[in-house]
Amino acid sequence: MNYKQPLELNGLLLQLDLFLRGNLPPFWASLIEGLLILIAVLAAYAVIALILIYAERKVTAFFQARLGPNRVGKYGFIQSIADMIKILIKEIIHINRVDRFLFYAAPFFVICASVMAFGAIPFGQGLQAVDFNIGIVYVLAVSSLGIIGVLLAGWSSNNKYSMIGAMRSGAQFISYELSAAFALMTIVVMTGTMQLSEIVENQRYAWNIFNGHIPAIVAFVIYLISGHAETNRAPFDLPEAEGELTAGYHTEYSGMQFGFYYLAEYLNMFIIAAIATTVFLGGWMPIQIKGMDAFNQIMWYIPSYVWFIGKTAVLVFISLWVRWSFPRLRIDLLLNLEWKYLLPINLVNILIMVLIVLAGWTLTDLFPILFGN
Amino acid sequence: MRDIQQFISKTVSDAVIEQKQKFTVTVAPEQAYSLIKALHDNEELPFDYLISLTGMDWEDKLGVIYLLSSSGDLSKEIVVITATEDRDNPLLYSVTDIYETAHLNEREAYAMFGIRFINNPDMRRFLLSDDWKGFPLRKDYDGNPGLNPITIVNKEIVDIAPRIMEDAKGNLIESTVKVFEDDDYIVNIGPQHPSTHGVMHFRTALNGEIVKKIDVKSGYIHRGIEKLCESLTYPQILHFTDRLDYLSANINRHALCMCVEKAVGIEVPPRAEYIRVIMDELNRISSHLLAFAAHCNDLGATTAFIYGMREREHILDIFDKTCGGRLIINQDVIGGVMFDIYTDFQKDVKAFIPYMRDKLKEYDDFFSHNPIVLRRMIGVGNLSFTDAVSYGVTGPAGRGSGWSCDVRKYKPYSLYDRIEFKEVIRTEGDSYARYLNRLDEIEVSLQIIEQLIDNIPEGNIVGTVKPVLRLPEGQYFQSVETGKGEFGVFIESKGDKHPYRVKFRSPSLSAVSVMPLICKNELLSDFIGIGGSMDYVIPDIDR
Amino acid sequence: MQSFSKYISGIFTSLRSLLKGMGVTWKEFWTKKVTMEYPENRETLVISDRWRSELIMPHDENNEHACTACGICMMNCPNGTIKVISASIETEEGKKKKILDKHIWDYGSCTYCNLCVITCPSNAIIFNNDFEGAVFDRNKLVHQLNKPGSKLRDKKK
Repeated sequence: MNYKQPLELNGLLLQLDLFLRGNLPPFWASLIEGLLILIAVLAAYAVIALILIYAERKVTAFFQARLGPNRVGKYGFIQSIADMIKILIKEIIHINRVDRFLFYAAPFFVICASVMAFGAIPFGQGLQAVDFNIGIVYVLAVSSLGIIGVLLAGWSSNNKYSMIGAMRSGAQFISYELSAAFALMTIVVMTGTMQLSEIVENQRYAWNIFNGHIPAIVAFVIYLISGHAETNRAPFDLPEAEGELTAGYHTEYSGMQFGFYYLAEYLNMFIIAAIATTVFLGGWMPIQIKGMDAFNQIMWYIPSYVWFIGKTAVLVFISLWVRWSFPRLRIDLLLNLEWKYLLPINLVNILIMVLIVLAGWTLTDLFPILFGN
Repeated sequence: MRDIQQFISKTVSDAVIEQKQKFTVTVAPEQAYSLIKALHDNEELPFDYLISLTGMDWEDKLGVIYLLSSSGDLSKEIVVITATEDRDNPLLYSVTDIYETAHLNEREAYAMFGIRFINNPDMRRFLLSDDWKGFPLRKDYDGNPGLNPITIVNKEIVDIAPRIMEDAKGNLIESTVKVFEDDDYIVNIGPQHPSTHGVMHFRTALNGEIVKKIDVKSGYIHRGIEKLCESLTYPQILHFTDRLDYLSANINRHALCMCVEKAVGIEVPPRAEYIRVIMDELNRISSHLLAFAAHCNDLGATTAFIYGMREREHILDIFDKTCGGRLIINQDVIGGVMFDIYTDFQKDVKAFIPYMRDKLKEYDDFFSHNPIVLRRMIGVGNLSFTDAVSYGVTGPAGRGSGWSCDVRKYKPYSLYDRIEFKEVIRTEGDSYARYLNRLDEIEVSLQIIEQLIDNIPEGNIVGTVKPVLRLPEGQYFQSVETGKGEFGVFIESKGDKHPYRVKFRSPSLSAVSVMPLICKNELLSDFIGIGGSMDYVIPDIDR
Repeated sequence: MQSFSKYISGIFTSLRSLLKGMGVTWKEFWTKKVTMEYPENRETLVISDRWRSELIMPHDENNEHACTACGICMMNCPNGTIKVISASIETEEGKKKKILDKHIWDYGSCTYCNLCVITCPSNAIIFNNDFEGAVFDRNKLVHQLNKPGSKLRDKKK
């Protein structure tokens, strides 16, 4: 069944592609398309970061009985733009006795890893820069590159706070990377594919979180927790625990170099939420009920990228909510949580998922009339 | 006290025993140590709590005044005075091995008076830098700024501590000791650090993330208040007390006012007493709220910090309407209070009480049972009863170690003998006990206010006070219970309108001095958390 | 087995208290915010009457004040914030009389202890409520409290 999708962008993009390929040799067409995509991704990256920073400050303030930014623009809307301009024109302070090359290279590792993961996210129908058939593995792999930047920053800063922060970060990241990966694998077991676009397509009538019911919900929660931990945000913000290590691994950074860490932190939060949306909550797919064409058509009038951003925003909100509700964990508690709780539960969970899939107890198998594709 | 008198005469035959405001014993320097040791080990009534150690310069002599008390019954107090005539090389025996709290106090006495203490393991100057010229609290101190110029050059911290030890044969040996090992990984927590609650400097040797040793360094905001007091009149000194522990500003001020009032014999009108106590308790609530807030913040819970500050704002509003100040409120004056309550005072306070109870419930839901909080507080920073007494850790922290040390109970002042209230005691001795103690004390304070708020008598707010106050010659002590613990004022007067010497016993100094002990072998994160649970205020230390 | 059930129940009690904590923040998310928007609420801002911000010497409509230049405020000030400069004049009867020339108060070093106000025998100085005292030059903090050309109020009136 095909529905009318008036606001989708994929038709437009297809036209553009045809136009370029019709008028230019294939090499140039690909090059221009590549550049356009690059610009689009970077622009989206920056815009989303700005929106997130504003949202975070506003939501935080509301949790804390405050008003948040309200000076620059109505309700402080252009506060983060002002902040961006400020951080761009700030002096980069050159620190003596740092390992120069590594010190300056470290922020780029973080930001590159984050942009690479960002590129693989399906924002909407046809809005995906790279669609590998091993998409999940790719996302996990590139997002874990960021830790190298953190470790380098801590090491090269020649600062004790940074060093401790980086070491904590290493322990934390390696631990939680496992849980995050296993949680996603649980869904891979169910869907049988690692390609993000296919995962989204499969969730037309039943989101994975419902399709896999109990193990999928457990995997979802675990993914949120470990994703939250991977982004170094409270209560898992040990690497930069400001109460203990002033600013942790980025203590010595200033100006735009610091800005890179700042951007990457917010974008990582978005990426985690976006992957969780894609894998568990149906991605950009609108809510569809099998057989109710009128309802489905109305849902399709809302473009897919709005669905995607909406679902992601809910997850980002939950992440902020958690962040501002709990105190910081201690390093031993952090590792306890991972190795004594999340990981064992996760392993059992995968096993349960395998059994469910083999026994045909997923919703699509049990009620194909309601949920089957 | 008769038994004690006999006991002292038996221990030190030529001690001069007098019954002044306090029971006072004057002994020769060689005998002071054995007397104090005997008093400490006295089984019947062990004087195991050193309230304060006050350096003194009597011009002909340099000495120390020890104010001792018993952990079992704080109302029992003995003053031990000892002095040496040698001004060039004054030496006294250290009591650090009897009372741990003496360690920093003796170092302070060395910095301020140049008195060196034999057998103190680390005789660096406290509060002053190592190369300070002169001893500021001596009467013949040369205050010429040229001697100690302000420098903007970074000074290396000297890690070699001088000391003077007595060997078995009684010879004095001067030696030095290294504070840290050569290969210690030292992280500076402070003086500029988000979690030191002021400019405190903890030099922390780490083993991985585990705290190996802490060296306390203070004095970054030392203002020389005790020295300044010596040239000001009594009413003028009052405004300094607000600036010690600024969170218990009014309670500190109450102590100094009472000290002077008792010395001169000024009657405080009942209305003023009521206002003072209500303001004290409001002040205590605000202090505990800030302690709660800052402790949460140290554990990384910023939201709880804001909630605590929000509730505190209501108290500050009441202060602001009563006295025109929020933090430094200048409410008490000698003989009464400066400002009468405003018309809606009772209404506002009564509205605050249920509001605060509601919020205490919220804190309980939000923070007190959070599994992360429990794991970060229970069993962390254990302070045993003996250590609490030895280090003189009073207040909610001391009571968290099972030490019943509420000055309001043992040495009741103002209206406290007429008020019914419960002393909150927990025996666990960990961060969580201290944390809960504070929250419970907020409730106790609310109950005290409830008892008083409707019964404020009519009448004057200031008693009759002479325009120029002269304290009769003598030594005067006064203790109060602030939000942090026992705050003491000591005034020695020569009958002048200026005090001869003023000393403030700060509860925060004890709390900081115990940090190296209770943080040892804890993780770096817990060190910060324990600091929050001890709730020290730096200006109280850097007087 | 017991430790295993403890492990499981531990997870659930922890989760419950975590959710309870999140419930509190959720409730706070919707409650009224306590922030005061300062420059905007200037019109409605209530400063308590007793608020001490700036020392002033009230003058009446005849440009007269109550200060007799006795200097008690200056003596009582703990840190030399007040300077009373007096001048001698000859009255009509030919007696010498001390009058106020300049009453100088340094905003920058005042500790607001209120001693000057409560000790003033003629109630000549008070603290006002005008808390917006920020200036860009430290010298502007030194205020002369008596207005130019002002004189002592005659007591008989």
